[in-house]
Amino acid sequence: MITQDEVVAGISGSYSGSTRAAATIFQENQTPYISAYAVHPEITRAGPYVFRTSFMGEVQGRAGANLIGDLMDLGRVVMITLNNDFGQSLAAGFRDKAGDFGIEIVNEYAYSIKDREFGAIVSKVKADEPEAIYASGYFFTAGPLVRQLRGAGVTAPIIGQEGYDSEKFIEIAGPDAEGVIITTSLDRDSESPITRAFLEGFEEKAGYRADMVGASTHTAVLVLAEALKEAGPGDKAALRDAIANTTVEASTGTISFNDLGEVKKDVQVQIVRGGEWHRYAVIKDDELLAPPSE
Amino acid sequence: MLYVELTVQGLVQGAIYALIALGLTLVYGLLRVLHVAHAALFTLGGYIGVIVTNATGSFALALVAAIIGVGLVGVAVYRLAYRPLLDRPPLVALIASIGLYIAAEEIYRLVFGAYGLSFADPPLQAQVEVLPDLFLSEARIMIVVLAVVAIGVLGWLSAATRTGVAWRATVSDPDIARSFGIDIERVRWLNFFIGSALAALAGAMVALLNNLVEPTMGAVPAYKGLAIIVLGGLGSVRGTLVASLALGVIESFGTIYLGHLLDRDAIAFAFLILVLMLRPRGLMGRAA
Repeated sequence: MITQDEVVAGISGSYSGSTRAAATIFQENQTPYISAYAVHPEITRAGPYVFRTSFMGEVQGRAGANLIGDLMDLGRVVMITLNNDFGQSLAAGFRDKAGDFGIEIVNEYAYSIKDREFGAIVSKVKADEPEAIYASGYFFTAGPLVRQLRGAGVTAPIIGQEGYDSEKFIEIAGPDAEGVIITTSLDRDSESPITRAFLEGFEEKAGYRADMVGASTHTAVLVLAEALKEAGPGDKAALRDAIANTTVEASTGTISFNDLGEVKKDVQVQIVRGGEWHRYAVIKDDELLAPPSE
Repeated sequence: MLYVELTVQGLVQGAIYALIALGLTLVYGLLRVLHVAHAALFTLGGYIGVIVTNATGSFALALVAAIIGVGLVGVAVYRLAYRPLLDRPPLVALIASIGLYIAAEEIYRLVFGAYGLSFADPPLQAQVEVLPDLFLSEARIMIVVLAVVAIGVLGWLSAATRTGVAWRATVSDPDIARSFGIDIERVRWLNFFIGSALAALAGAMVALLNNLVEPTMGAVPAYKGLAIIVLGGLGSVRGTLVASLALGVIESFGTIYLGHLLDRDAIAFAFLILVLMLRPRGLMGRAA
């Protein structure tokens, strides 16, 4: 792509494994590359041509601690952690800030991305009697997990993250999805014209509602498009600088980057009400949400 | 009480494994083929279960459709994929089986989409208090009942019917069975039909438990089913049942007490290795 088709920039619409591999190649060829939603911390460390428009897992984990300990004022938390880079980085961020927000981590359980049966974990969580459950996962693991927790009579609030952020989660979990709260990038109740235009345009074209993945990719494309308008496609170094210095209003909020190419933006907190995602809160805390800069 | 709950949860999981692995054991017992594509039939059972239930509102009808439909597909797999390879080394059939499984996953993704399908209104969700403060959904109870019934019927078929005698004779020595007038092709067709029907039953029930059927739903059963039949003693129905339940319970406790060190599959395979070190023929395997 880079040497023969003369591609001037790339956007990753994939998870961390392939994004990390590609980041090295884009950096070696000094071609700007934006990760739309891969979370691994090493991605932007490939070099100055690599950027990320989504949250790092650690950042979102810290936001989760803030949400449970401060906004919801709950103390005894059980963690159910997806055993991959996404879940582990979320857990690391959550643990890092849990004490600061008065959270006691009662127990932590791990599961594999292949698991859909959580009977043993559900039984133990029930015995733990937590005030809240911080459970990482994707919609296809979180849907069955939430169903099984609620089915067993566990009523503690369940806090998830952007991996839940899909209509499909609500479809799988059904009525048990009600009240589930997540930290994510997309605010369905946003009044921002660009977010509204994205949500409506996506649904019109796709035939189903947008999720975080769609919004994050839309954001990455917008960031690149704005930079191309400013610097043009002819000079990749100038294009990189234009991305690095951008401040743009996108479907996931106001986007700018730190020195490492990590995004600086607010965390959206969404809740399932009436079978739909809605705004629960917005976490605006530059210090808490600061990604690493080197 | 927690230990009782973990044991019950493990037995439920074991019942699911048993339904999946019994079909594999039947095929291995008869043809000495490691039928990896069995997991694709399990997934197909899940898809038929969801699609028919959503279209008709009847889960019972969906189960019947899954059993018959997948049973027939299983016979077709035997006839078109394994039958022409039976005089080749077993490795050839194994490679064909793996290829079939991978192809099936991609076909499901292309036909049904990558996101998976869910029940519009999942049935059997009411919670039943099976022990004080231990609730299981009707679907979970049903899967245990189905496993018990399926194993009971299989045992009866095998021990008390002419079909069972023909079946066992074909397993022991196909040539002698043929010389006694047994139509061994018919026996094999029946074997694949029953084994695939069990996979369909498990697939539809697991789809209901998770309210989700995805193209990769068979990925874990594809290799764990093989682990179970090895653990049980290749070809032993009783061993498969014991291994399924044991693995379910080991995983249940292991997830809680070893989960920070090993994931569920690693616990299962560590158990498998330990058993094979102590009993190389598996839990109920007979000496060659």
